[in-house]
Amino acid sequence: MRYLPVLLATVLAVCLLLYWQNGAEPAYDWNLPADIPEPVVPADNPMSDVKVELGRWLFYDTRLSGNGSMSCENCHLQRLAFTDGLPRSVGSTGETHPRGSMSLVNTAYASRLTWANPLLDRLEDQALTPLFGDRPVEMGKGGRESEVGALLQSDERYRKLTKAAFPNDENPYSVLNAVRAIAAFVRSINSYNSPYDRYLAGEADAMTPAGVRGMDLFFSERLECFHCHGGFNFTDSTTHANVNIDRVGFHNNGLYNLQETGAYPADNTGLYDMTGEARDMGRFKAPSLRNIALTAPYMHDGSIESLAEVINHYKRGGRLIETGPNSGDGRLSPFRSEFVSGFELTDDEARDLLDFLTALTDETVLTNERWSNPHRP
Amino acid sequence: MIRSLTKLLMRSAKRPARNCLLVALLFAGSACSPSRTDIQLDFVATWNGETIRCGKGAVQLSDLRFYVSDLAVTDAKGVEHAVLMTSDGRWQQDNVALIDLENAAGACANGDSEMRSVITGTTTAAGISAVQFVVGVPFSQNHANPLLADAPLNDSAMHWHWRSGYKFLRAGVATGDDSFWLHLGSTGCEGTVQNITSCASPNRVAVDLSGFSPENDRIAIDLSALFANVDLQDGSPGDCSSGPSEENCTMPFSALGLSFAGNPASRQTVFRIQQ
Repeated sequence: MRYLPVLLATVLAVCLLLYWQNGAEPAYDWNLPADIPEPVVPADNPMSDVKVELGRWLFYDTRLSGNGSMSCENCHLQRLAFTDGLPRSVGSTGETHPRGSMSLVNTAYASRLTWANPLLDRLEDQALTPLFGDRPVEMGKGGRESEVGALLQSDERYRKLTKAAFPNDENPYSVLNAVRAIAAFVRSINSYNSPYDRYLAGEADAMTPAGVRGMDLFFSERLECFHCHGGFNFTDSTTHANVNIDRVGFHNNGLYNLQETGAYPADNTGLYDMTGEARDMGRFKAPSLRNIALTAPYMHDGSIESLAEVINHYKRGGRLIETGPNSGDGRLSPFRSEFVSGFELTDDEARDLLDFLTALTDETVLTNERWSNPHRP
Repeated sequence: MIRSLTKLLMRSAKRPARNCLLVALLFAGSACSPSRTDIQLDFVATWNGETIRCGKGAVQLSDLRFYVSDLAVTDAKGVEHAVLMTSDGRWQQDNVALIDLENAAGACANGDSEMRSVITGTTTAAGISAVQFVVGVPFSQNHANPLLADAPLNDSAMHWHWRSGYKFLRAGVATGDDSFWLHLGSTGCEGTVQNITSCASPNRVAVDLSGFSPENDRIAIDLSALFANVDLQDGSPGDCSSGPSEENCTMPFSALGLSFAGNPASRQTVFRIQQ
């Protein structure tokens, strides 16, 4: 019987644990259609409405930039599906980034973030580069991380929201929590209400007949678009809560072939810059095609202006640049993906395909107040 | 103190002699353990033998910050002793120190006004004849979450969020309209940010300087050696950020003794003894 106290204590502890788990916050509501799985959420940053709200205010706050001139919004405008319309984005001090900003819609499902970084798999880690990076300067807060924590503590709204979003933290006013909140906000931005989604859900006239023909072309072996742009987010770098495998795809789509060596311009070598492996030259992530009609110009460096030209690029199976420092025929690159081999396509078919791509635009994500700028009246 | 020594002991598992000394220190009590004495190392940035600063001179600094780890000294008998750095919550923890020789003046636009040119610690060595250290952050700390790290690893200007890990060394010079800077850190890392398994190019610089006396000598970072073959007269700013085939990295990496793009590792020539 001398073990009785230990036994009782154990039972009590188990009861407390169960009570605590049941008493935890209600599950976060993603507002997802029934056939879309929930995204992966890091264990140390569970979702909550108040955290998303805190992240929303921070996302749109120019005080997160070194000189107060820009917020995350400058490169991620809601009306452009959270892109900026520029070929290459421009930072708070005027420096031009080598690459264009990517859409934030459905990034909760991205197995890797940004154009070609195989290391970045969490929004919490990705956010640190635009905030603190200095090659190039984006937000320009490098070396001044303590100002972010100070902002959470000194601003009355932030103080309240931070306390509510991180109720168990002794000192919640940290850059870590600011970044967690911004990540939660970005993770909350999802979009599955395009004409294509409604068509799939049974609304037969949600898409035009041309769009339906374009859809069949998109998913055909002749065009092979879906090998890289497949799945519910139209990218092969998609993951979600119900999968255990790490699905990542980086592809060379024949944009460049400098000196006929397969080389890309030095400031944008893609996966190669991270791995140093020759075969990774010019390999970039296939971006999601959702809302793609709104996110021109295209490719990592914004070097193709319209979707019609993008279709022509894949039709040819690589880009020919006849003169200048970047001259070369991408179709002949030794590193070009086997799925970018070119195809026959009539003008009518090209128009159908364009119609399908346009049917991936979800107008509601562009105006939904959950993701709009709260600082703006 | 015990925690610090235990950590030091674990790190020095490859060095039986030092291990033995530390075991003696930890378990045999103070009676038979060698006493620890204070040690201070002074660093100075030079250009052709002269001190180089931000905002002064024909060639001025545009940046100079770096991490020093695995610091050790060799005693008169040729035995290596680890130096336990004095944790101060700002510039040093047990095994990693940040040296900051820029003060945001002139061309040092990316920096801040605070500077730090010394490392302080304790050692069991008597009659120091040489100093050894690594410019870089040890692997286990290099890839941990920087937002949870203790000083001096909590400085966002020194973290390389893009590549995972720290900028071991930020160095730059400027003259007139021309300039050159170097960001050194591990590249070719595998895994994902919170789970890096290895890096193809660790890029940690091993420094071993003999004939060294901490009382009389300083450790010079000779930027004219680091940027020896950089053209500072061509009117076009250049940089090296440790990328796999950046031509601009060839000469600085060679000066640091690092293998790069097929060139083998060698002995570094940038860190020198200055009397």
